[in-house]
Amino acid sequence: MSNTIVQVENFGKKYKRLSVIDNVSLSVGKGEIHGLIGPDGSGKSSLLKAIAGVLDFDQGVIRVFGINVNSEKAAEKIKGRIGFMPQGLGQNLYAELSVEENIDFFAQLRRVPQKVLETRKARLLEMTRLEQFKGRSMKHLSGGMKQKLGLVCSLIHHPELVILDEPTTGVDPVSRRDFWVILSQLLEEFGITAVVSTAYMDEASRFHRVSLMYNGKLFAQGRPEEIRALASGSVVIVRALPQAEAFTTLKARYPQVQPIGHHLRVFVRDKEPGPAEEIIRNSLSDVQLEECYSLEPELEDVFVALLAGRNGHNSTGPGITVRKTREIKAGEGSDPAIWAKDLVQDFGAFRAVDRLSFEVPQGEIFGLLGANGAGKTTAIKMLAGILPPSSGDGRVAGIDMRKAVQSIKSRVGYMSQAFSLYEDLTALENLRLYGGIYGLSGGLLKERIAETLALTDLQEHGSELTQGLPMGVRQRLALACALLHRPSILFLDEPTSGVDPLGRRRFWEILFHLSREKGVTILVTTHYMNEAEHCDHLVLMYAGCSVADATPAEMKRALQEEAGDLLELTVDRPMPVLELLASNGFGDAAIFGNCVHLLTHSIDETISGVRLLLESNGLPLHKARKIPLSMEDVFVYRVTALEQHTSEGQLA
Amino acid sequence: MNHQRILAVAKREWREIYRDRLFLSLAFVFPITMMLAFAYGLSLDVEDIPIAVLDQDRSELSREYIHRFTDSRYFNFLGYLNHPDEIDELLTTQRIRAAIVIPDHFQSNLQEGRPAPVQHLLDGTFTTRARTTKGYMIAITRAFEKDVVIDFLSQRLGVSPQQVTEQLAPIKVQVRYLYNQAVESSQSLPPRLIVLVLLVASPFLTVVGIVREKENGSIYNMYASNTSREEYLIGKLMPYASIAAINALLLWAIAVWVFQAPFKGSAVLFISATLLYVLCTTVIGLVISVFVRTQVAGVLITAILTIVGGMLYSGVLTPVSMLSEDNQLVCHLLPAMYYTEIVDGVFLRNVGLTVLWPNLLVLAAYTVLLLIVGYAKFTKRPKT
Repeated sequence: MSNTIVQVENFGKKYKRLSVIDNVSLSVGKGEIHGLIGPDGSGKSSLLKAIAGVLDFDQGVIRVFGINVNSEKAAEKIKGRIGFMPQGLGQNLYAELSVEENIDFFAQLRRVPQKVLETRKARLLEMTRLEQFKGRSMKHLSGGMKQKLGLVCSLIHHPELVILDEPTTGVDPVSRRDFWVILSQLLEEFGITAVVSTAYMDEASRFHRVSLMYNGKLFAQGRPEEIRALASGSVVIVRALPQAEAFTTLKARYPQVQPIGHHLRVFVRDKEPGPAEEIIRNSLSDVQLEECYSLEPELEDVFVALLAGRNGHNSTGPGITVRKTREIKAGEGSDPAIWAKDLVQDFGAFRAVDRLSFEVPQGEIFGLLGANGAGKTTAIKMLAGILPPSSGDGRVAGIDMRKAVQSIKSRVGYMSQAFSLYEDLTALENLRLYGGIYGLSGGLLKERIAETLALTDLQEHGSELTQGLPMGVRQRLALACALLHRPSILFLDEPTSGVDPLGRRRFWEILFHLSREKGVTILVTTHYMNEAEHCDHLVLMYAGCSVADATPAEMKRALQEEAGDLLELTVDRPMPVLELLASNGFGDAAIFGNCVHLLTHSIDETISGVRLLLESNGLPLHKARKIPLSMEDVFVYRVTALEQHTSEGQLA
Repeated sequence: MNHQRILAVAKREWREIYRDRLFLSLAFVFPITMMLAFAYGLSLDVEDIPIAVLDQDRSELSREYIHRFTDSRYFNFLGYLNHPDEIDELLTTQRIRAAIVIPDHFQSNLQEGRPAPVQHLLDGTFTTRARTTKGYMIAITRAFEKDVVIDFLSQRLGVSPQQVTEQLAPIKVQVRYLYNQAVESSQSLPPRLIVLVLLVASPFLTVVGIVREKENGSIYNMYASNTSREEYLIGKLMPYASIAAINALLLWAIAVWVFQAPFKGSAVLFISATLLYVLCTTVIGLVISVFVRTQVAGVLITAILTIVGGMLYSGVLTPVSMLSEDNQLVCHLLPAMYYTEIVDGVFLRNVGLTVLWPNLLVLAAYTVLLLIVGYAKFTKRPKT
């Protein structure tokens, strides 16, 4: 089996008797990009470290290049032939060293001869577009640039196998796309095999084969399309009035129903799109149906469905029954819950937020999107009364934020990006502590705790220590703490990072309930683009400014009008296809696993044109179809255009 | 072993230290501050004790008795009191540390051969200082007493006071303090502080340097490459040992120039012993960092081990011979005491290699032993 690079059999690892990963087997062939997909704490890092020979383990056998990696001595034999990039944004790089010094150091460790180093370095810097930043300190790079530098450093010695642990976590969508393109280019160019882990389900299409992990167990394995086929079905999107009633009806019959803005998203198992739509139409006969169409399921739908089957119960928990009907009507009636006008925040010479203005009507779920450092967190902090703005006005719950910060604080709940719970306290003790901070005590505190525990469905976890709780439960607890004083406005800063898909769905159901039934206004930032679709309204931030302000649907429509529809081409070798397309005027094409995506105004013409172009160059085109635009497409398109504009501006 | 890799590691480490201005300044400011603070703040001499007197006799003899105190460099006479209540207040507010009460008839009692009671009141908060003060006061009183008796006898017998003195106190004690003629701790303390400061400061830097790599994950660059353990450890220790060596030089300069400590011995012997000690303390940091995972834990353990070891078991503040047998054993098991002996010997006594070679040998053995422990326990494939 000279073609097998990595062979893992029945791998298991315990930390102090606590088993984090158990009985996992996988094999990776030469040239393959293998993905380990799973939420935080699923055991991905342990497996990757064990493969890289930097972690001792208890069970199973790992063979790399046919060598049994079972001791430090054996592991030394593979280390010259592998590259390893541990988890964390730029954490394995040296903050005080420049880009070039970092690369040189890795090359010296790997004993790359000076001449070879110069040519390789030049090529890698060119491909990652880091050339102009050669002399910049690592600590002054953006998250995306740090990860690209990390990749260059782990590839400088041309390893046969590269192991990357969550290289795209915490990186914004534009940089993530960029990273994947560069990675697939490099691996193809140098013939490198890769094992890569990620917490983002939607990145599955980037891999040749994936291992889906959950709770330290292997959940499913195979090519992305094979896994998708494990739970067949269709996704139906409906817009029905009243939304809450429709949600309750569907929730009773289908375990996987998600409110997405004003729409509902239902996964109907084992049904083709046509029949699926038919069934949903019929079950919603009591309400007014305004829109109904179907989509192909995403890996996340499959994952949730599989998980539900495995756990043997309704995967999204008891869920929230929506009794009353309360539809929000934007821009009508009373004052906006949040009103920001020309907010500015300067940190020294750096302007973090630049004349930001927006309005959030009461009861709306409002999303702030943007790359790392776009100013989202700063904006939230100003509105929550934590950070006084340098200039500009804001009103929160009708109160001027410049004048009455204290009374704002009693009406808003704030959940910060950093984990705000005390890990050595139980869930209940944390709630009591936060209740005390908000001035609640005695019977009232008890009542409120019971109320928020029920609302966030945490009753069974009350007496557990916070440090032992899974990410999803912790985040719900943090939300519960922010809800104790019954705020009318909630500020949530990246509340779901690191949470598994199930946990995220549950979290969003609670938010939906709060917004639709309790009339709570929610301002949220997120890194997950599919979560942005849950929002009623979005503001896209770039370099501290608001660059788009609309509903998700409007944003997609605007993109469609401007750039066209999204075309997906399924091919054998995407890399040469991309190059060919680029040299023929399709500059913004992007690779997704075995597919190439591009935007076009004339689908049919483009398909025939591309088919002709590819076939005349000996590259077969298996499938070409129009697919719906996602929020990620919108985000990447807008931000890329702005970045180009900015860099052109700098050049001029 | 590949020297280019070692150099790469050392160079990178040095660059990081050099560019991290906070870390760089701490590396030098911390030891110097510690030296100055201890040398100025930790004077073990008891002098200038503030004292007040309630003289109810107001006689010639009582004034003469008080003069014995006001003339002494050990006491700082603050004045006469009028009422016994004042003593309490002054002692409580710590404006005086001792008071003398001389009752009525002090002079007549003495002249008529009756016992003459005098009360000494002392602040006993710090026992060593109180005991030393008591010693001074008793010695002064005894000397005064002797002179009174001599005067009385020479008048009675009609002979000269010298004759009476010779009869009364035939033993003539001649004291000469060797190596530190003035018996001032400023002569012997600053050189010894070099031992303490290096013991605390050098492992600190090493621990922070290594453990922060573990904490942020850049240590995986070593684990996942062919860089061997010895290449990494040597490369990593080089900058820290160099910083510690520079610090040793600075501390020596402070001891000699700022505190005027004498340096009587061989510079070559001192330099080689110091380099050995610097290496030894740096390696202590390495051993600690092998066992801990977070910087906080590393810093705390280093602080406890080195400060306790340096204060109690190094012979810097308390001579080893004054400790209990158990504690003496601990001193002999730790390296600091051996270097303290070298520092004392070289600075104050000009003792040479012929006497100090076992100390050098122990330091060398210690360094090698710690290196072996650190090397053996450092693994590129840890369990967690």
